[in-house]
Amino acid sequence: MMAPPAPPPLYTLRGAGSPLNALHFSCYGGHTPLLFSGSCQGSVNVWNLITRRAEKVLDGHSGGSVIWLNTLHSKDALISQGRDMRVCQWDLAEGRSDVTDTVWTGSVGFCRCSLLEMGPGTWLLAHPGEAMEEVKIIEMPSKRPVCSLIPEGKLGMVMCIKLWQDPGSGPLLLAGYEDGSLAVWDVSQRSVLSCASAHPEPVMCLDFDPAGKRGVSGSSEKSLASWSLDGQHRLQLRNAVALVNPGISQLCIRGDRKIVASAGWDHRVRVFGWKKLRPLAVLQHHTDMVLSLAFSNHKDPRDRLLAAGSKDQRISLWSIYNQD
Amino acid sequence: MHLPRQVLYKMQALTQDVDVRISVGQCIRTLTSSKEKEEVTKALQKLASYLNDQPQSRITSAQQEEFSRAHYTRTLQFLISNINADWLQHITAAQRTELWDGLFLRGPPDQALLVLMDGIGTVRGPSAALDHLVSILERFLQSSRLAILIWSRSKGTGPSDSPQLRETLLGRLVALPDLTANKLHHNNKTLFLPQQYYPLLAREILTVLEKTCQALRDGKDCSLAFVAQVLGKACVHGNSGLVFDVLAPSLSSNTRSDMVWQRVCWKLLENTPERWLESVITGLVQAVSRPETLSRIMGNLVLKNKKAHFVLTHKLLLLQYKYETRVLRVVLGYLAEDRERRPCLIQVLRALCQAWANPSAVRHTPLEQQLYVSRALLLCVALLSDAELLELRSELLQCMLGGMQSHLDSSVVRVRRLGMVVGECLSSRMDIDGAKLKFEYEQDDETKELLSLLTPPSEETEPLADCLDLPQEVKGQPVPSQAASVPQTASADPNSDLDSDDDLPPYDMSTDQEMSGAAPPCYLRDCLEVFLSSDDPVRVELSLQAVEGLVKRNASTAREVSVELSKVLLHMEDKYNTEGFLSLRQAAMVALTVTDPVAVTGYLTTEFYSMNYSLRHRLDMLEVLAMAAQELSQPIMDKGVQSKGIHPVTSAVSLYPGKDPVHWRQVVERRIQSKTKRLSKGVTRPPAKPTPNRYAPVAGNFFFPLLRNYDRPQVTFDLLGSDHLVLGRLIHTLGLMMHLAVNAPVATQMGRALLDFVWAVRYHADQMVRRGVLFAVCSTFLSMPSESLLVELRDQLFETRAWLADVAEGDPDADCRNLAVQSLVLLEKSLKTGLNPTALGLQS
Repeated sequence: MMAPPAPPPLYTLRGAGSPLNALHFSCYGGHTPLLFSGSCQGSVNVWNLITRRAEKVLDGHSGGSVIWLNTLHSKDALISQGRDMRVCQWDLAEGRSDVTDTVWTGSVGFCRCSLLEMGPGTWLLAHPGEAMEEVKIIEMPSKRPVCSLIPEGKLGMVMCIKLWQDPGSGPLLLAGYEDGSLAVWDVSQRSVLSCASAHPEPVMCLDFDPAGKRGVSGSSEKSLASWSLDGQHRLQLRNAVALVNPGISQLCIRGDRKIVASAGWDHRVRVFGWKKLRPLAVLQHHTDMVLSLAFSNHKDPRDRLLAAGSKDQRISLWSIYNQD
Repeated sequence: MHLPRQVLYKMQALTQDVDVRISVGQCIRTLTSSKEKEEVTKALQKLASYLNDQPQSRITSAQQEEFSRAHYTRTLQFLISNINADWLQHITAAQRTELWDGLFLRGPPDQALLVLMDGIGTVRGPSAALDHLVSILERFLQSSRLAILIWSRSKGTGPSDSPQLRETLLGRLVALPDLTANKLHHNNKTLFLPQQYYPLLAREILTVLEKTCQALRDGKDCSLAFVAQVLGKACVHGNSGLVFDVLAPSLSSNTRSDMVWQRVCWKLLENTPERWLESVITGLVQAVSRPETLSRIMGNLVLKNKKAHFVLTHKLLLLQYKYETRVLRVVLGYLAEDRERRPCLIQVLRALCQAWANPSAVRHTPLEQQLYVSRALLLCVALLSDAELLELRSELLQCMLGGMQSHLDSSVVRVRRLGMVVGECLSSRMDIDGAKLKFEYEQDDETKELLSLLTPPSEETEPLADCLDLPQEVKGQPVPSQAASVPQTASADPNSDLDSDDDLPPYDMSTDQEMSGAAPPCYLRDCLEVFLSSDDPVRVELSLQAVEGLVKRNASTAREVSVELSKVLLHMEDKYNTEGFLSLRQAAMVALTVTDPVAVTGYLTTEFYSMNYSLRHRLDMLEVLAMAAQELSQPIMDKGVQSKGIHPVTSAVSLYPGKDPVHWRQVVERRIQSKTKRLSKGVTRPPAKPTPNRYAPVAGNFFFPLLRNYDRPQVTFDLLGSDHLVLGRLIHTLGLMMHLAVNAPVATQMGRALLDFVWAVRYHADQMVRRGVLFAVCSTFLSMPSESLLVELRDQLFETRAWLADVAEGDPDADCRNLAVQSLVLLEKSLKTGLNPTALGLQS
């Protein structure tokens, strides 16, 4: 039986005017579903997914590339990280578009921040620090520094991080470093729980599924590494998944833990089944590197979308594996 | 008067004889004249009493013998000649069956059979009399009188009769189905059909053999001569398959442990007359499934009998090639089975080696036979012991090297592959210092089968099958059910596996291929530049991929650089192991030729005959020319134009009625259309839009330059000599060009030139060349207008036909034969269609 061809994108959003480094959906709740995109020129576009037009363009990073976007408790509290070494908090309520607060990170690298909700109204934000290998963790919105995590060995620049918390224990942090190793940090103890060399090249991106205790990481090579944490938070490398072309910019596990998507330097988005990392689809549309990915958080799983932002200045939206 | 005792006895016997004659004469007279029922019955009873199985009779055995010897045939003949007599209608059916029919069924069966067959032959049919005789013959066969007949002649002292009688009897016995079929036509009985009769005959033979064995055990003498003759004659009449289907299994199981049976079988075959032995042996080897069985049945016949030796070691292996591999296995296994027969196997191996390695055989025998000989050779080599191999090593090596050379020289792929496979197998069997030959060839069923011949089939299973003597299906049954159950359990696992994984169906990911870094070139001149100067494999590959499209898109630029680019492409080498290099290059060259036919064909055809090209290059040129010609001859498919072309007329009419003077015609046409009933079914298609044939004006440019220099051999290229591969392709290409030039004005000249050209090489030794020639002839006959064809062929018509008929009959290559037949048909057709009276006269 011939497999059907991969679907075309549902629609594409153009007009960002520069490569798209960051994407974030805000579709939960009754309001208009929105997609935030951060561009290379430092602007953040707010796309209305009903009209499929940019509602607003926010400019707060003074030309520095926006590499990470997220929202605190509602769509109106946007938080953005730029390569101007600042993390900005925005107030978008009632048509405003003001930067309410900024955090100076001092990082010149490409490492994206990671946000973890600790309780009502409090978050932990992990961001790369001034020193290349340093990860700083602060409390939001109070900006109170919690700790600074610097590995003892020479692992090189920190490339990507992910904060999470197991129920009944302190927050944990996964970090990928320039020499290809992954480290699990216990944030409260400020100590490395385990470390594993997952790639021969720098770790470009990672995503972790706390419920399954499994994660994937990508690099500039022709394979994805997959690994898991055992009960003592020890990293165990599992089998790698071969890719056709090298280079992964971002990896995203969908909220329902069914699929994982990779943004490839070969212009393609690849979709894998999350359980066994079985290749499922190759989405071809872009004409340049895909830089960012995001799964939407629509209330109805059937509306859930996959967005991919590319260096060709377009965002493609895909509806894939979301029936039942 | 005092007479000696002997004389007295003799006289007594004579008087008895006279008695019998008188009483039989009386009975017959009664039957002729009497109308009384009782008298008739009595006479018949009297006659019946002379037959030996009448217990209560007062007839002495001497009288019975006398009756059987002298009067039985006459009596039966009399009965048949009076079959329509009135008294026969008067007696009851039961009486008739008992008395009248019984006379036929209880007497000596040989005489009865002869009389019956004669009767059936002479009585006019269809009639009740004939039906009656046929039913008696049927019962004669059913009551196994045949076994008694054959046995009566095998018993220690069989009746010594004249050879003529014996021949006649054999003829009747064996040809019974033919005789009855000829006489009875559609009313023939199923029992007389060969499918029924010969198995019956075989069963009767088995009965007789069984009796013979019994008699031998009892110490009595028997002669197997008559049985052997019956068997031989039945086989030579072409019924060996039917006979041995019954005989072989029983013989196989009986000879398994019984020495008497074995001896009887050997004697049976030894007694078979020389002239019939071959068909008996071929029938036997085909019916037997294992060499051991053949060995048991045949014994060392191959050593004792010259004919058997010839058939088994020569004819079956080297002269015929119709048998299955199983038969080869049986024959060679039989030769290898016994120490005394082993020299025969070596002798066979030598002959096979010679046949396989002979270059002339490779060229002139049909491929099927070569395959057959190769199979036999491999089987033979597999049977050799290591010591024998060592002894024969130098011969085998010579055979292998010579044979491989002649096979690899061939222009037929299958022959080459055959050489490679056999060479590999031989080398692996000989084990020359651990070195083995290894070729790269595509595995297909044929090569797999050949390779499998070196490993002997499993030994354990088949003897069981042999002795159980059960039909194959019964034994085979448990196996399929097992086989069916195994995959089920096996397939359950992956299924559950799939279920455990996300039940998400994957999409087609075949388009997910490696990306190349560089951008493809946009201009033709860039490509040219890259080909000439670049060392970057990626750029060369991209240019190669792009060049065909660029040529097609920019026809004018392509024309400017066509010859130069062709030159570059032709000389280009696959330096970087580019994927699909050959097809990409070819496609580019074809596109160039199509875009600028005159210049590029000029270049290619000149280069074809120039120095310093490899075979590959010349073949490439021919291929490019052929493909370009093909592409040019096809109409350009432009879908947009076609779909628009369907309705323009009607729309014009409805929009501007009466304005244009042309429109009245369309109006009329529409009216006619609406009033006409069309009987054809289906959607009426729009007529095909005529487009000019792009090939016709340039066909000559493709064709004639290729014919210019073929007979001028050069240092590196000798078309009429060793380069027959190119010659074959050249002729084939010319034939294709001819075929494509149908309806072109230049076709006549082309055809004339082509026929002249191929005439010289029509008996070429290489089959590829001959195929090409026949293809060219075929396409000429197809493409040339028939009247000009007749004019051209006027002088050579008879010769051509004789040549074609000759090829159709005797060429070793099957393709050649088919093509020749096709050409003949085409020739006849064009003779008939384009006919004028003179041609008619010629044909008759």
